[in-house]
Amino acid sequence: MKRVVVVGSGASGVHFAQTALERGAYVTLVDVGRTAPAPVLPDASFARFKREHDDPAGYFLGRKFEAVMFPGAKGEYYGFPPHKGFIFASLERFRARAQGFEPLSSFARGGLAEAWTGGAFPFHERELRDFPFDARELHASYGTVARRIGVSGTDDDLSRFTPVHEHLAPSLPLDAHSRSLLARYGRERERLNAGLGVWMGRTRAAVRSDERDGRHGCTNLGRCLWSCPREALYTPSITLRALLKHERFTYLDGRFATRIEADEANRVRRLHLVELATGRPETLEASSIVLAAGTLASGKLFLDSLRAHGGRAPVLEGLMDNRQVLVPYIHLPMLRQRYEPDSYQYHQLALGLEREDPRHYVHGLVTTLKTALIHPIVQSVPFDLKSALWIFRNAHAALGIVNVNFHDERRAECRLELESDGDGSRLLVRYEPAREEPERMRSALGTVRKALWKLGCIVPPGMAHVRPMGASVHYAGTVPMSAQARPLATSPDGESHDLRGLFFADGSTFPFLPAKNLTFTLMANAERIARRWCDAQA
Amino acid sequence: MAERSELDRECDAFARYLGASVGDGYVREQYWAAHAAGAVELPSTTSFERAVVSLARSVPLLVRPLDAHARVFSNGGLLRRKLVLLLAILEVRAPHDEELDTPTGTSVPGMFLRMVWLGLVFGVLLACGMLLSLPIWLASRLGASR
Ligand SMILES: Cc1cc2nc3c(=O)[nH]c(=O)nc-3n(C[C@H](O)[C@H](O)[C@H](O)COP(=O)(O)OP(=O)(O)OC[C@H]3O[C@@H](n4cnc5c(N)ncnc54)[C@H](O)[C@@H]3O)c2cc1C
Ligand code: SF4
Repeated sequence: MKRVVVVGSGASGVHFAQTALERGAYVTLVDVGRTAPAPVLPDASFARFKREHDDPAGYFLGRKFEAVMFPGAKGEYYGFPPHKGFIFASLERFRARAQGFEPLSSFARGGLAEAWTGGAFPFHERELRDFPFDARELHASYGTVARRIGVSGTDDDLSRFTPVHEHLAPSLPLDAHSRSLLARYGRERERLNAGLGVWMGRTRAAVRSDERDGRHGCTNLGRCLWSCPREALYTPSITLRALLKHERFTYLDGRFATRIEADEANRVRRLHLVELATGRPETLEASSIVLAAGTLASGKLFLDSLRAHGGRAPVLEGLMDNRQVLVPYIHLPMLRQRYEPDSYQYHQLALGLEREDPRHYVHGLVTTLKTALIHPIVQSVPFDLKSALWIFRNAHAALGIVNVNFHDERRAECRLELESDGDGSRLLVRYEPAREEPERMRSALGTVRKALWKLGCIVPPGMAHVRPMGASVHYAGTVPMSAQARPLATSPDGESHDLRGLFFADGSTFPFLPAKNLTFTLMANAERIARRWCDAQA
Repeated sequence: MAERSELDRECDAFARYLGASVGDGYVREQYWAAHAAGAVELPSTTSFERAVVSLARSVPLLVRPLDAHARVFSNGGLLRRKLVLLLAILEVRAPHDEELDTPTGTSVPGMFLRMVWLGLVFGVLLACGMLLSLPIWLASRLGASR
């Protein structure tokens, strides 16, 4: 009988579990599993919501006004609404410290992707060169995952960078600003392609345009940022809910996995857990354990296990994350227009920048400003607030941002280590940017500015914001897959070479990180690993 | 923290300054609640910042020059914090969201001309704000040295 224990209910964990169940396995999923509050006024549009909710300030700003961005506030502004706090709330048992990195972790049902922006871009064959398996295998999994979650997109100019896969549903209707940009691109296409090496097209997003499997299609409520109340925008907790109905599925939430125990032959035997409500230790006998706790939490669990097993914890090298730079712009034809609250709020277009080495492709997500809170922007205009508001209200519909993503490679200086911390251990996350990064960014940002100019946009000088490493939350690379068996690496099936029967189904195993958002590939790879695991069991 | 009645008065004065209609009990309630929750005043808030706020509250006409001055010299100070808080409350509450965030219907050239004008006005406001703030600042320094 095929039995497997999975740790984590994020994007990686639930798709591993779904495939394993579909192929006849018994799955036990261990999870901290914090839950989301129930959706409020689920059919109300953003504008109606503000009219009908009896305490909009409590909802949008928080009971302690923690979501107000006061002037001079330090640190990265994420703009997460208070009711999404459960996604990022820290956990005393998971201790971490970072240098050169701002780590985000989640202990929620569904993990970090409960707050994601749905970008679902498959990797190109050339970006999979270091992955030790046939790219076609992953391509099949992209189709399977797209059917499950609903991915919308169009076969257009961007397909040269983001291949078309099966079950790609039609894109959502464009908002007026994005429509204007795309029309302009149509006119400037030759010059942008040949002159600058820039292509533009519809984004790929995990949002349903149609009604299916009990999930509604997008009806342009404009509340994506505040959690889509119709679940048109995919989140892993939707899959988890479906798994809970499966008779061969057991969900152990409120549990924190502390380490994996292996025997003398280095075969996994059991998983040690703690029930969080009582602090009571528990164990689960298992011969196959799948880590899908997210690259950082899986790394810590792995290191704690190796330390308990062999007396000493090694260093996991090769942590990767996409550097992101936010480039705000003003699209001049949209000045003085009314912004569109009733439309899909996240990126609707994407930019692709061709580079000499195709693996260094630069990826830009174009998001037009709609229902995000305005006070953080208005206060940044260098005038008194009355004048700033006048300028903002006439420019709102013209404002947008390009989130420019850069690739990353595994480097020894970017790593995970364990430190002693009283009675337990603490994860130390270290990151150092590559030496060539400043030049890479300078060149790409110059191209983005020129492209935006051709598209009828101006980029206010000095406003580009280099996000700290860690902010993109595309973590990968610490226990890479490799064709050769070696310590601190996995087989192409995601199985550890150190502890047999231990599998990694999250970003830990990626040997390379292209500039594209990785979560669609996390899900597809977890699906692929589950297929291989089931085949091996059979 | 100021008295409830003072905060209501302040809330109305600042709402009018931002271009919103006044007298919404919910907005006043939230403005007060944020103060009560300790979200507004910082341990570093100075007597000068408090005096500026109290002047702005008493003479609403002076809110704009004092805001212009604070934008340049005291962006993280009490006056800006209170104004931004109120803006945040207003933007999530109908009908104020529309009052604050609807285009004014000017032409594009008109808009650019208006922006140049706003720049000039800002310069004048800043100068006025400095003149207004200077005696308050001196008084607070004197008070502190005593
Ligand atoms: C604001 C935001 C926007 C994003 N937008 C995009 C996007 O547009 N496109 C994209 O591709 N990616 C995006 N991402 C990144 C994406 O969310 C992550 O890559 C993805 O969620 C990682 O999934 P995961 O399953 O590997 O891990 P996680 O999401 O981190 O899930 C970890 C799971 O493991 C559980 N867990 C952890 N440790 C333990 C333990 N010791 N014991 C028991 N359970 C444990 C947690 O409860 C959780 O369920 C975004 C992220 C954020 C925050
Ligand atoms: S616009 Fe956003 S919130 Fe509204 S239905 Fe579509 S995905 Fe959901």
